[in-house]
This record gives sequence, structure tokens and C-alpha cells, in this order.
Amino acid sequence: MHETVLMRNLLDTVEQAIENHNVKRVNRVVISVGKLANVLPDALSFAFEAMTQDGIMKGAELEIKSMPAVAHCDDCGAEYQVDGFPIVCPACKSAGFRIISGEEVYIQSIDCEE
Amino acid sequence: MAKLEINKDLRSLNNRKAAENREKFKSHGIYVINMMGSPGAGKTTLLENILPKLGAHLRTAVIEGDLATQNDALRIAKTGVTALQINTNGGCHLDSEMIENQLRKLDLDSLDLIIIENVGNLVCPASFDLGEDMRMVVLSVAEGEDKPVKYPTAFLNADTAVITKTDLVPYVNVDVNVMKRYIAGINPKVMVFETTKKDGEYMADQLVEYIVDQAGRKKGI
Repeated sequence: MHETVLMRNLLDTVEQAIENHNVKRVNRVVISVGKLANVLPDALSFAFEAMTQDGIMKGAELEIKSMPAVAHCDDCGAEYQVDGFPIVCPACKSAGFRIISGEEVYIQSIDCEE
Repeated sequence: MAKLEINKDLRSLNNRKAAENREKFKSHGIYVINMMGSPGAGKTTLLENILPKLGAHLRTAVIEGDLATQNDALRIAKTGVTALQINTNGGCHLDSEMIENQLRKLDLDSLDLIIIENVGNLVCPASFDLGEDMRMVVLSVAEGEDKPVKYPTAFLNADTAVITKTDLVPYVNVDVNVMKRYIAGINPKVMVFETTKKDGEYMADQLVEYIVDQAGRKKGI
């Protein structure tokens, strides 16, 4: 349950991003959460709401986009979506892989009033 | 309404510090293990038993992570190995900045190996890079043979898995081979080791050999 830590980072990141802009209000924050990120969207939303009770982000909306997990096959080089375990390449059936995305928690953009 | 593109990973601070730690370990030729597992998996007991054997080959220090108490660091200190304790005060994982702070207390030139025992938790620690070379997951037979498939992300990026307490197999209705198959199903590259107690003696020689070999490779021996 480290969603609060991530939300703290999110608030810091937003503050840095708007530092040089004349922003009056932040209305929406869009983040993407990988399927393998070990993060619970509901807990993120809860932490976000709890931590934006006042200030420039008061009442802002959090939009969470779920991102698929993608693996790169060690043997044939194919890139494929991971839907469960075991992870097997659909092209060559190899079980050797490297996860190339799906573990990240990304802040994509914010909508704000200037 | 204006839209500002940010595109930044919320773990970027952790990742940056982890890269700095990794660079520091590399420049000192120190091999680093990030040990993870549920509470009670046998992480500290494993350390107590392998440290004296590792000590014959490698100058080692241990960093212990727990929510509270100095208990684990005190247990490790009894083996004669330098042990530092981090208390996360409720935090569910260690992060790279906590490790950076502990590194200041160690004489890195006099070390070959650092083992970090993460907070007992099979979920969160897996998502936070500390700058380690080896990710080790420790799980005991008593946790059930399907533990790997119930907590897959811990095994996904693991390099080694250590199945502990295999002497309890007759009492807990677990097939170690099934457990191994589950681990291989998540990530076939994970090297699996077993530890057991036989006639009162803790057996983990293969694991010790492997760690000594890996640390030697990093040092260029």
C-alpha cells in the first residue's frame, strides 16, 4: 500500500510542472497505471481525494488509464501483450521474455485554468 | 482550459537514486542483493546461517528493513557482520533514498557484498529498485505451493528464489516441485534454491556458492 507515496510524488510533480505557468486551478490529472505496477486504482483515487482537499488542486479529478503489460520475446523478438501467467510468446511459444512495459505509474498530463 | 503534458514516471525519483546507488556499488566493486519475502518466510534465519559461510570469502554488510524494532539487526550483529537497521515506521517497502542514507555509514572500500533484507511483504518491495544486482525472493514451504502464482509480480523480476524450511514438507502438504513449476511458469529464468534443516544443521551450501561466484564475477576475480 504505497499509493500515498505515489500521490505525494504526483502532487510534487504537478507543482513543479505548473511552477512557470500562471495556473489558477488544476481541474484534472491524467495518469496511466501499468497492469503490473502493484498499484490499486481505488487506493490511488482515495489518496488523491484525501490529499487535494485544498489549494490549487482542490476538487480536481483524477483520470486513471490502465495500461497493458507488454513483453519482448528472448527468442524471436516479438512484442506481445501479457494477459496472465505463464507468459508465453504467441509467435514462437518461447517462455523466455523481458517485460518492456506495464510496471510504470505515469503522470501524463493535467488540465488547468490559467 | 489549458492542457499541460508532463509524461513523468511517479517513481522517477526512486529510479534516479537507484541508478546513483548502482553506480556507487559498481565503482566499489560491491555485489548487492535485495532480499524480499513475506513476514516469516525465513529471511533473517537464512542470513544468520549463510553469513558465517559467506564471511570466509566476502566482506559483507547487511541492511535490515522493518516497520519497527532493531531486532533483526541485533540478530545479524551476533554473527559478527555489520548490520544497519532501517525502520520505515509503517512504510511497506524500502526505497533507494533510504539505502543511500545507510551507505554513508559504511566503509564501501572494505566491502564485497551488501545484502538488503527488505520489509516483510511480497507485493510492494518488488516495485522499488534499490540499485541491486540480484533480486532474491525467499518463500517457505509453509506458505503454500501456489504462493508464486498468487503473488506473481515478486517473481517476475526475480533472479533467484529460495524455498526455505523444506524439512517441514511432511507436515504442510506441499509439493516443492509444484512450487518450482509455478515459479518457472512466471519466470523461467529464476534460479531456484532450497534450504533445509538436517540433524539440526541449516543447509544452504549451493546458495552460498552461487552468491560467492556472482560477487566474484562483479569484482572481476
